Amino acid sequence: MIQFRDFSFRYREGADLVVRDINLTIPDGCFVGITGAAGSGKSTLTYAVNGIIPHCYPGDFYGEVVVEGLDTMEASLTDLSRLVGSVCQDIDSQMVATVVEDELLYGLENFAVPREEIPDRVTEALAAMGIADLRDRTIDSLSGGQKQKVAVASVLALRPQVLVLDEPTAELDPASSVAVFDLLARYAREHGTTVIVVEQKIALLSDYADMLVIVDGGRIRFADAPEAVLAHADELLALGVNVPRATTLVNTLADRGLYAGPTVRTVAGAVTAAKEVLA
Amino acid sequence: MAKFLEYVPGTSFLHRMNPSVKLICAILFAIACFTTSNLVFLGVLLAGAVALAVGCGLGRETAGLTKAVFAFSLILAVVLLLTTPTGEPLIALPWGYLGTGSLLAALTAIARLEAAAIPLFLVFYVTRMSDITNSAVKQLHVPYKYAFTFTSTVHFIPVFMNDMAGIMEAQTARGVEFDGSLAKKLRLMMPLCVPLLVSSVRKTNSAAIAAEVRGFNLRTRASGYKDYPLRTEDYLALAACILILGAAIALAVTG
Repeated sequence: MIQFRDFSFRYREGADLVVRDINLTIPDGCFVGITGAAGSGKSTLTYAVNGIIPHCYPGDFYGEVVVEGLDTMEASLTDLSRLVGSVCQDIDSQMVATVVEDELLYGLENFAVPREEIPDRVTEALAAMGIADLRDRTIDSLSGGQKQKVAVASVLALRPQVLVLDEPTAELDPASSVAVFDLLARYAREHGTTVIVVEQKIALLSDYADMLVIVDGGRIRFADAPEAVLAHADELLALGVNVPRATTLVNTLADRGLYAGPTVRTVAGAVTAAKEVLA
Repeated sequence: MAKFLEYVPGTSFLHRMNPSVKLICAILFAIACFTTSNLVFLGVLLAGAVALAVGCGLGRETAGLTKAVFAFSLILAVVLLLTTPTGEPLIALPWGYLGTGSLLAALTAIARLEAAAIPLFLVFYVTRMSDITNSAVKQLHVPYKYAFTFTSTVHFIPVFMNDMAGIMEAQTARGVEFDGSLAKKLRLMMPLCVPLLVSSVRKTNSAAIAAEVRGFNLRTRASGYKDYPLRTEDYLALAACILILGAAIALAVTG
């Protein structure tokens, strides 16, 4: 379980709090999508989970963040990194090796994973991300999307209890983005991993997340099941968060008194709602 | 063609050699080049280094490297030409003369730098960075932090070169013309060093954080997965490089 209790943070070089009064509980095995306008504090929330705040980016830290029983303020970054696997936004900087297989080995070697387990973990992580064929390729020869999959695989190989991903599909086309989320969701289900994803593509997030968190100006405005959050489409649009078109369409039908069912997230849901209205 | 100092996969003799032995051999070879001033011997070493590179299928990369080293060594050669008035006078200079000895010293400097550089750079073209790090830690007992820092520095050279190329392309798109004299190019490039520096610092910081959250501080000498056993070829290569160094010392002593 991950708990934010009255958490606020100001970077050392900043004048204002970047996130403030955050109270949030994320149950084990939950798939959480965090979204919001640029500069709203999304990444800062993830830094608080993996310990980058306060251990790498010092500043004024208020309240507490507890990850699987460890207070991130008191636990070392090393202890937190045993629990939390992180994929950063800047994929190129994250790569330490020249070959894909070595990139996966890096973390496994650091954590002294037993030698006999390593080949299986590498194979499994590559397969989980659908990139088994890239094993011997040089990192430099990969596309941006392939590098992102390698970065995720290198963290999956560590089998963390919590997975934090900062815009993991930033360099992927829509089809590949869906594929990555499919793989992540399946992996999380099979291993009971808690997944926290910062993502701008809300339609994608709402398809996979158990909980959608909308951040605005450093505060959490909504934290609930995607259907419940998307019911506030007008407010979301005012916050600069794009709502899936299917949701907007069905919400419009509901506003005009033509539809009384639940909020929909997908095109299929919108088709069903439209048929219901037309019937 | 591979980018500067980027690993090129392969199965050549050099690819298969032990990473630490490769590094030691390259260093011994470079020391030999700087020990001797015998131009013929240096020529043989240079020819050997080029043959080794071509044999590994790295002819094009080596040609590019040779050109870059030549540009640098040419500056040194010109200085030597103008400041080493030895041998038979060929051209009179206001402060002395340019003689056959000056010419020999200049040629020696070029051959020495070229011959020494090729094997050192080849090591990075034929060895995975992680293998260099892990082998240095396991076999040479270099502390992991130092080995990782060294290979990361090398790893970032092409990254920063790409960044610089990107910044220059962006400036070109805005109408800046980098064609022309070297002086003009340098003058135009100087202001670009600031964004490059900013991006480099940011990337280095991100890389350090990414390494830390993947357990960088937990690494021990025993936790490396791969082993790097020494094979017959490694011993032979070491022996050959020791012989080369011995020959260079002998030539230096006997004049």
